Amino acid sequence: MAKVGFLVNPIAGMGGKVGLKGTDGKAVEAASLGAKPIAGEHAAVMLAEFAKLRIEAEWVTCSGKMGGEYLEAAGIQCMVVHKAPAPSRPEDTVAAARAFLKEKVDLILFCGGDGTARDICSVVKRKIPMLGIPSGVKMHSSVFGVTPAKTAEVLAGFISGELKPAEAEIMDLDEEKYRNGEWVVRLYDSALTPFESTLVQTSKMMVTEASDADVLGEIAEYIGELVSEEPETLFILGPGGTTEAIGKALGMEKTLLGIDAYAGGSQVGKDLNEVAILKLCDKYNKIKLILSPIGSQGFVLGRGNLQLSPSVIRKIRRNDILIVSTPAKLAKTPVLRFDTGDVTLDTELAGRGWISVVISYRTSRLAKVQIN
Amino acid sequence: MIRNPNGFLREEYNALVEKNFNWQPKTLEGPSAPVCKVEGKDVIMLCSNNYLNLSNHPKIKRAAIQAVRSHGAGSGSVRGIAGTMDLHLVAEERVAKFKHTEAALIYQTGFAANAGLIPQLVDKGDIIISDELNHGSIIDGVRLSKADKGVYKHCDMGELENVLRDADSKNYRRILVISDGVFSMDGDIAPADQIVKLAQQYGAMTYIDDAHGEGVIGPDGRGVGAHFGIEGKIDVEMGTFSKAYGVVGGLIAGSNDLRNFALNKSRTWLLSGSHPPAVAAAQIAAIDVLENEPRHVKKLWKNTKYFKKQIKAMGFDTGNSTTPITPIMCGESAKAKDLSAFLYTQGVYALPIVFPMVARDKARIRVMMNAGLKREHLEKALAAFEAGGKKVGLIQ
Repeated sequence: MAKVGFLVNPIAGMGGKVGLKGTDGKAVEAASLGAKPIAGEHAAVMLAEFAKLRIEAEWVTCSGKMGGEYLEAAGIQCMVVHKAPAPSRPEDTVAAARAFLKEKVDLILFCGGDGTARDICSVVKRKIPMLGIPSGVKMHSSVFGVTPAKTAEVLAGFISGELKPAEAEIMDLDEEKYRNGEWVVRLYDSALTPFESTLVQTSKMMVTEASDADVLGEIAEYIGELVSEEPETLFILGPGGTTEAIGKALGMEKTLLGIDAYAGGSQVGKDLNEVAILKLCDKYNKIKLILSPIGSQGFVLGRGNLQLSPSVIRKIRRNDILIVSTPAKLAKTPVLRFDTGDVTLDTELAGRGWISVVISYRTSRLAKVQIN
Repeated sequence: MIRNPNGFLREEYNALVEKNFNWQPKTLEGPSAPVCKVEGKDVIMLCSNNYLNLSNHPKIKRAAIQAVRSHGAGSGSVRGIAGTMDLHLVAEERVAKFKHTEAALIYQTGFAANAGLIPQLVDKGDIIISDELNHGSIIDGVRLSKADKGVYKHCDMGELENVLRDADSKNYRRILVISDGVFSMDGDIAPADQIVKLAQQYGAMTYIDDAHGEGVIGPDGRGVGAHFGIEGKIDVEMGTFSKAYGVVGGLIAGSNDLRNFALNKSRTWLLSGSHPPAVAAAQIAAIDVLENEPRHVKKLWKNTKYFKKQIKAMGFDTGNSTTPITPIMCGESAKAKDLSAFLYTQGVYALPIVFPMVARDKARIRVMMNAGLKREHLEKALAAFEAGGKKVGLIQ
């Protein structure tokens, strides 16, 4: 039977209604401004929906308002594996995630926002998938269900084996920049979340489900061929799990969150900043940029890859920007977005409102692009 | 390293069995007919491709027997060396005449046509633009070539144009647009006239796989080109003798240039033995029957219309089908399987199509109509659907 670790960040989302950009470390301030806890309510809605589906699972959770209270209220049996004081502290999320990992849960279901997702991911990385009941001020990461009720369906799909874990981005506000008055969302980590699996037709009328690794392998193989055919071209690889797989296939030391570069059979740049990228670009006549969109949110540029500034992008032809995504992730991402901060450039990149995305070996499909 | 050379055979088979993905073909005892004997049980056949019931047509059977007497049981060689007989050439001439094209070429199977020809039409630096629901043999043909592939949403001409424009801007050498004519899972027809028009605007070649439209759609069952009044305008009109024609073999119809190119380049055609004389003679006789006995196509459509009307009146959802392929949408796989099992107990043979052949929530029973079914058979099948539909909760 599937084992689910469940935790609620009781203060998540409180800052939103009173104009704070998050609730981490600000719960007391939020409460004094009149904010009421909302996470519990969202968790209760999701659990009530899930209980209706009558799907069995083994549940482990935290005490009281960090989980146990809501499972009991929904009539779901559970075991408490992390006792949190009331009120709970931010470090309780990390401790709970550790306890869940020790319990060998198959998935962590959490109720919170980007901050909670980051805390959990810092512990579990890509060892087990996580799924968020949306309840934060910021929800830029691609691990959240669309609504609490939809989250129940996703969990049910995962338990029944219909949905499989695949790569998802953990995004959050860059607090350092925010303190200087800049609103910048950046990529913090890569996690796993349940996705509808990719189907591959193998023979007459028969289709098999391809694992995320298989599909990434197909994409990587194609990019690998392109790279070997163009030894004179500079290939710049953006951040994320998809480009990480491509980098690894090329034999690069690809950074998960950074921009790396490859040309003529070897790595020519690692974790590059804007200046370094511009410098590198000057050395090559032809440049190709490989990017993967942020799942669900659809940002191709402007989130998690600000090193790729408008000056960098202007050196690259639109047809030389290769967008790569697994079909599963693309299906969950209705619109792609360019948000470089340069509106003219964004409009040029949006073109007629669609752009082709590499989804498998030598195979592409059009995706809609947001026109500003 | 100690290898077990055969261990994987059983391992992989067992893995399929575990998931219930293994094929378990039922055996027909006797001919494929509107009512067949399947493993000892008489059943109304609703899942064969024998749309016109020609597989048992006396004239076609007679032609095959006669050819065995005059030309023997086998052809002796591949077509390219010593296996082209007069019968093979007559069959090809008759296809071209029937479909109003300059020329035609017959392959061993429809699959051999797609897998042999598609990779020759495009290569590195070219792009194949394909409908997302295209049949498996097209997909394999695509994989065998070094061309890139662009996929467009099912029958979405706006998206096809966008993909064409995108390919055009990337300076591909050749662009090949491929679509099924009639889609085998849903029974809808591709807008081939619009596909041809768009392709012409961008200098793209068109290839329509009309396996399920051949002998079924268009005047006298002449296929997708005739259906849209664009005969000779589809660059490659591909079809099969194994479905409505009731025999076996793949065909392509188009220009003389196409035939010359295809027979010199398709490795499947060049490297497999040619059809036995009986097959070629049966192909010719099938075209004779289509040309001289229009009643079969008429009866197929009469049965189709009656069945569709009645099944819809019962409250079943039949999707977007406009052809003798009628999907009875069931939603989840279990319902489709239960309904099919119930139908079988009632003497009706109709297979469930479930995940992973179609999306998880799009499981269905696929009904394929047959011109040889009588009204009493249809009534019996409809009654079984009604009882079964109520039993599994699809209709009230």
